[in-house]
Amino acid sequence: MWSELRGLRDGVDLGTPPRDGVPVTLEIDGIAVTVPARSSVMLAATTVGQQIPKLCATDMLEPFGSCRVCLVEIEGHKGYPASCTTLVAEGMKVTTQSPTLKRLRQGVLELYLSDFPPEELEGGWSEFHQTMQAEGVSENRYGWGQNHFDAPVDDSNPYFLFDPAKCIVCSRCVRACAEIQGTFALTIAHRGFESKVAASQDQPFLESECVSCGACVMVCPSHALVEKSLFEGGYYAKPSKT
Amino acid sequence: MPNPVKPERSVITTCAYCGVGCGFKAETYGGKIVRMIPWKEGKANHGHSCIKGRFAYDYYMAPDRVRTPMIRASIADPWQEVSWDEAFRYAASEFKRIQNQYGVRSVGAVSSSRCTNEEIFLVQKFARAVLGNNNIDNCARICHSPTQFGLAQTIGAGAASQHFDSILQADVIMVVGANPTEGHPVFGSLMKRRVRQGAKLIVIDPRKTETVESPHCKAEVHLAIRPGTNVATLDSIAHVIVREKLYNEAFVRARCEVAEFENWKALVGADRYAPEVVGPMVGVDPQDIRKAARLYAKGPNSTIYYGLGVTEHSQGSTGVMCLGNLALACGMLGREGVGVNPLRGQGNVQGGSCLGSWPHVFSGYRFVTDDATRQSFEAEWGVSLDPEPGLRLPNMLDAAVAGSLKGMYVVGEDPAQSDPNQNHVIEALKNLDCLVVHDLFLNETAKYAHVFFPGSSSLEKDGTFTSAERRVSRVRKVVEPLAGLQDWEITVKFMNAMGYPVSYSHAGEVLDEIARLTPAYRGMSFALIDRLGSVQWPCNEEAPEGTEVLHRVRFPRPNGLGTFMLTEYVPTPERTSNQYPLLLTTGRILTQYNVGTQTRRTANTVWHPEDVLEVNPLDAALRGLKDGDWARITSRFGQTELRVRLSDRVNPGIVYTTFHHAKSRANALTSDLSDWATNCPEYKVTAVEVVRIAAPVSAAEAVGQGVSTLPKQLEPA
Amino acid sequence: MMAGSTKDSEVMPLERIIVMANQIGDFFAPYPPERRAEGVRNHLRSYWDPRMRQQLLEYIAAGGEGLAPHVIEGARLLTDSSQAKPSYYGPPKA
Repeated sequence: MWSELRGLRDGVDLGTPPRDGVPVTLEIDGIAVTVPARSSVMLAATTVGQQIPKLCATDMLEPFGSCRVCLVEIEGHKGYPASCTTLVAEGMKVTTQSPTLKRLRQGVLELYLSDFPPEELEGGWSEFHQTMQAEGVSENRYGWGQNHFDAPVDDSNPYFLFDPAKCIVCSRCVRACAEIQGTFALTIAHRGFESKVAASQDQPFLESECVSCGACVMVCPSHALVEKSLFEGGYYAKPSKT
Repeated sequence: MPNPVKPERSVITTCAYCGVGCGFKAETYGGKIVRMIPWKEGKANHGHSCIKGRFAYDYYMAPDRVRTPMIRASIADPWQEVSWDEAFRYAASEFKRIQNQYGVRSVGAVSSSRCTNEEIFLVQKFARAVLGNNNIDNCARICHSPTQFGLAQTIGAGAASQHFDSILQADVIMVVGANPTEGHPVFGSLMKRRVRQGAKLIVIDPRKTETVESPHCKAEVHLAIRPGTNVATLDSIAHVIVREKLYNEAFVRARCEVAEFENWKALVGADRYAPEVVGPMVGVDPQDIRKAARLYAKGPNSTIYYGLGVTEHSQGSTGVMCLGNLALACGMLGREGVGVNPLRGQGNVQGGSCLGSWPHVFSGYRFVTDDATRQSFEAEWGVSLDPEPGLRLPNMLDAAVAGSLKGMYVVGEDPAQSDPNQNHVIEALKNLDCLVVHDLFLNETAKYAHVFFPGSSSLEKDGTFTSAERRVSRVRKVVEPLAGLQDWEITVKFMNAMGYPVSYSHAGEVLDEIARLTPAYRGMSFALIDRLGSVQWPCNEEAPEGTEVLHRVRFPRPNGLGTFMLTEYVPTPERTSNQYPLLLTTGRILTQYNVGTQTRRTANTVWHPEDVLEVNPLDAALRGLKDGDWARITSRFGQTELRVRLSDRVNPGIVYTTFHHAKSRANALTSDLSDWATNCPEYKVTAVEVVRIAAPVSAAEAVGQGVSTLPKQLEPA
Repeated sequence: MMAGSTKDSEVMPLERIIVMANQIGDFFAPYPPERRAEGVRNHLRSYWDPRMRQQLLEYIAAGGEGLAPHVIEGARLLTDSSQAKPSYYGPPKA
């Protein structure tokens, strides 16, 4: 019971929450795997060590299907479904690695990269950095066009800061605040290129309803939300939001 | 913006703040802690955290941490830094002198729920085996002692019947005198998750707390009762259940003492407990009492979580019994999703209760008067033990005032700030010949101390904590103790200096001794906890990996049956009058922790720089008070000054404050009344008057002089 | 505060002892007479320091003014060795 909470493992990200359910057997890249019903294809793949790249999915949050990095091929299914939002089914045959998938994923990752501060790629160790590295993406073919590099850092909270330049708008923080903490302090304001993480009525974190539980920082894949204590000798901030 | 540093090392340990007992990974870089990350396998928190555990850990390296032992002959003298050996020698010689002069029972010891299980066990061993008396108490006395007493009387075990995850099976959640979203935030999040899934919430609390209403979480019923009327209210709920026959007859017949059930029915079924009588008296709509009773009885799974709003009353133990009675009558025990669960304020209140830091029981709640139990301890410890109960903490203070108690060893506890009727406490402490304080900081109590042992923070030592869900988890040393010794080593060396030879090579050997002497901990060991992550007691031959839910088959009473106590409402003598027309009650805020010793030394003060007095706008208007004004609050026992905040969270006639800052002196106001059974102080009800003043006459200066408790830069502006 | 009335032989102020004893009496008041007294006795025996019990008994010997009758009755049971139940703990027996 309560696998969503009790099935979590330190050092492992199953991608989507573990579930309780009757066993379902499927094939991932030819490997048979049995997982509880209601599990995602992503979780089944992680279980047998076929890690699928992902950005918006993490096992402490319900799947969201927004980053389009975790695409897979499923026999008999049209297109390239997101493995985080696709549930397992008996006898399903899933392919997680193929030249087409590699090309599709790289295309998406390069788009993310085109709006990520280039000087911060080197030396980074966030999930975002690790994913780029694992998928062999170090430059993008789109060039550095319109971007968020100069968006001001919100360092109002004494313990963590929010650097929108590094934000990939995956909504993990928004969902953590709602699903895990239950405070609902965060939202994605605006649409399209203007989309951004906003606390309460687009206020500095310190002045918002935020209770500083740290759940958003814990799940942020790109160190856009990050503990100030990790910056040796302090961090230097761009002009902060007032 | 550069990239953050990547931590080099991580140690899994347990949060030292509230009783939820979250697992954390303490990550270090260059030998310093740079981050606390919630542990995904922590069975209480599943990767979640709150601001305190996650971020407020810097106090361990606060500039005013004491790094060297100190002694002085008189509290008027300046402290003198000495070696550990000299400090132990001096303290031991003073305790021996006092016992020679005034008798074996003239000294006592107090431990804290911030200590590990191993330390708590050693401090009681110090009192019993080394001092030779049972003058041993711990700070659970002033928070949850009625829980131990009240629950033991009815359902046989003074501990939570459930594990926290159990709430995910609950249909109705009744929260009494607790504010989990502020006081136990990680559990509060779990509770809110269940409410979002459709569970119904009943809150009994004088204040419209954050738990009553928050985004996507609203109480179905909020009984905003007058402080001090819990027992009347709960008896009235019971009245409805009895009169409308909503009880679970089959459960009562199978699992309870039926004759006692009938006696209870006669008592609570009496007309004087009808909601129409009780409602106007306690200040709530009778229909709401009926609604709460019907919701709770209907379930199908109803669970109770309660806090200090139940226990810290002159009828605290009776209030806890009321909850036990209700759960038994409705059959809400012995499976998942139900139960009666105390929310413990400090990380190790449950451990403090379990491990014999009480004047009347050994570890495992076994009486010192019981020959067989006492003999088992005598055999292990090699000394004969006092067969009579000793003094409780409030009695020790009374005895110090009376002159019959002359020496105290106080570990991790700050009675001068945290105990009620502060003037009386200070008078008691000043009267001692030798006060030994063992703490991280020169706290309020240390102002009256003669010996100071600089302790180690929970990040600097090994041991275990037992959380509010009976979960025993490891505390692991992340960094070296600042003053060189872990707390358990300090107590052992003090025992040695007193002439009692004992040694342990590591804290795990103390847990082994606890396991040998304590039935519920029989199977515990560092090895088992390392293997399973954490273990809930009872852990023994029948349950080698611990027990999640208690009372599934029988209640741990001699006949295995639950029983009903007669819970007559006796109003507290603390009442309003023309002179003191308002009732003051107290609580906590998310960002601060108890008396603030730790959190006031962190950036958490940004959110809560000072305690404020919440006053209903009607009462404020009558007194010409505006938001932000300073006010003097006066009770029969003392006075203090606080800034006023107008708020409709409190009803007219009631004022509320938190007690996190020493200079607020909330306990200058509180009375000397206490629970009838356990002497747990009645913090939650004090009659006061509030008067507008131009500016504060620095309350801080009124409490002892000469010792700064806060580094300057952290002093709130 | 409370100090004034303390004599050398007292472990703690007498007013305190009287208040505490009567509070215990209040709880057991709804029980039938014999269980009432036994409840008071068991509580004092299990939870009170012997010097506190002694102080209470001395006060009762001197008249026990201000104590509820069943508190006096219960306290007197302490001196009756036939009532001794050293390890008994819990509600008064039916």
